[in-house]
Amino acid sequence: MNWYPIFLREVLIFERRLLRLGYVVSALLMPLLYLLTFGLGLGRQINISGGSYLNFLLPGLIAMSSMINSYTWVANGLAMGRIYFRTFQVYIQAPVSPAAIVWGQVASGIVRGVFSSLILLVLGFLIGSGLKLNLLFLLSLILNCLLFAALGVVVGLRAKTHEDAINFSNFFIMPMAFFSGTFFPIKHMPWVLQVIVSCLPLTHTNYLLRSLIWDLKTLAALGVLLVYSAVSLVLGILQVRHYSE
Amino acid sequence: MIDIEHLSKHYQAIIALDDLTLQISTGEIFGLLGPNGAGKTTLINILTGLTRPTRGWAKIAGFDVVGQPMEVKKLLGVSPQEINLDKELTAYQNLLIYGKLHQVPGLKGRIQELLEMAELTERANHYVRDFSGGMQRRLLMVRAIMSRPRVLFLDEPTVGLDPQVRRYLWDLITQFKADGITVLLTTHYIEEAEILCDRVGILNRGRLIALDTPHALTARTGGYVVESLRNGRRHYSFVKDREEAHLRARQELQGVFIRRVNLEDVFLGLTGETLREKTAP
Repeated sequence: MNWYPIFLREVLIFERRLLRLGYVVSALLMPLLYLLTFGLGLGRQINISGGSYLNFLLPGLIAMSSMINSYTWVANGLAMGRIYFRTFQVYIQAPVSPAAIVWGQVASGIVRGVFSSLILLVLGFLIGSGLKLNLLFLLSLILNCLLFAALGVVVGLRAKTHEDAINFSNFFIMPMAFFSGTFFPIKHMPWVLQVIVSCLPLTHTNYLLRSLIWDLKTLAALGVLLVYSAVSLVLGILQVRHYSE
Repeated sequence: MIDIEHLSKHYQAIIALDDLTLQISTGEIFGLLGPNGAGKTTLINILTGLTRPTRGWAKIAGFDVVGQPMEVKKLLGVSPQEINLDKELTAYQNLLIYGKLHQVPGLKGRIQELLEMAELTERANHYVRDFSGGMQRRLLMVRAIMSRPRVLFLDEPTVGLDPQVRRYLWDLITQFKADGITVLLTTHYIEEAEILCDRVGILNRGRLIALDTPHALTARTGGYVVESLRNGRRHYSFVKDREEAHLRARQELQGVFIRRVNLEDVFLGLTGETLREKTAP
């Protein structure tokens, strides 16, 4: 599967944009603002489940940031590349399988999501959050990036305009960031909302990033993320396979 | 090399391509001429796997473009109408990624060769964003032949370029033919089609309305055209030879001039409209 050239292209563009300071700041502005206002402002006065609010908040912000960055990078890049710059058409006209095209895009989204998470992790350690990392944390983080990058492929390929990708983000991605246990535990929500929220993938990522032990509940949460990822990947591959202008 | 049978593409009520049947031989430079919306790009999109036909089929080197896309794409090079280079990457990086996508052997050497061909060796590590339109077109053109394709699709390759760059690209296209590459070229430029193409197909509203060598097409329309002004509108009369043209010119009152028939006149003779009238927004 010749996915590497697609991944390489995205990484080279990412590298180029990283050199622009404004780009990095704008990409991380929102989670950083939340970290500073909620984490440092409220965090020292509130305790959740016996721990500091900062310790509760940081994994949530990492889940949110990795989701937004993976999704946005892929969905916007694909929509713009397909509709305006027509760089996506180069992949379709090349002897590359649909799976390779999708996986190349998703892999670049993972890099982008993990990069934004690393910055938050470093900041978290600097301000003394006491966040602990283990294999489950890293696995869940990568799976979260994969899931939302794959969703980005689906949306980026369906969008008729660049605004469509942004609208999906405004109506689905952003509300999920707020209601999936990022800022407060979902057990304090009305039960109806809890049922809805428990169907959202980010809820499970939030649970996994805060859980440091392997048990049935974490396996179930991983299973949910895997199902969402597999469905998004398959949908993306089918969209590329049946691509027609 | 290219076999097209009863190919149609409909977008709901719009017929972009209407029952097109055409064969293009190996090593031929085939020109598609027609106004905007005639179906030229739709045909290229179908042949290169971007668009699925509504009806009919097309084969390249015996491979069906819908049923065997991977086999077909290994044979193709495409230079699209819009410059779809990655402007945020350098010329070298653009060629590198394209070469890796097409799994080109000896890639580094091939890239150097193509940069030399495009006269861009000195600019290899410059960002494409900073290139002039002509430089970007040259890079796009050599990128299309990166994988040594057997069939090359050039969609309006010289649009918007100054005459010097246009001539340079014509030389490149002639070189491609000498290398045995089959070229399908779309253009608005009559001169380009006449100079480069072995055969020309004229498309109008998705239908192929004429198909022959440029010489045969113009000869069929007449040797000369007498242009004149009647009631504020240009009027065209096609005649066999210069003598007849002079006789006809004497009957006209205003803005008369005589010239040889070109491919635009062929289009005019067939549709009653000029290519420029049809192409203007």
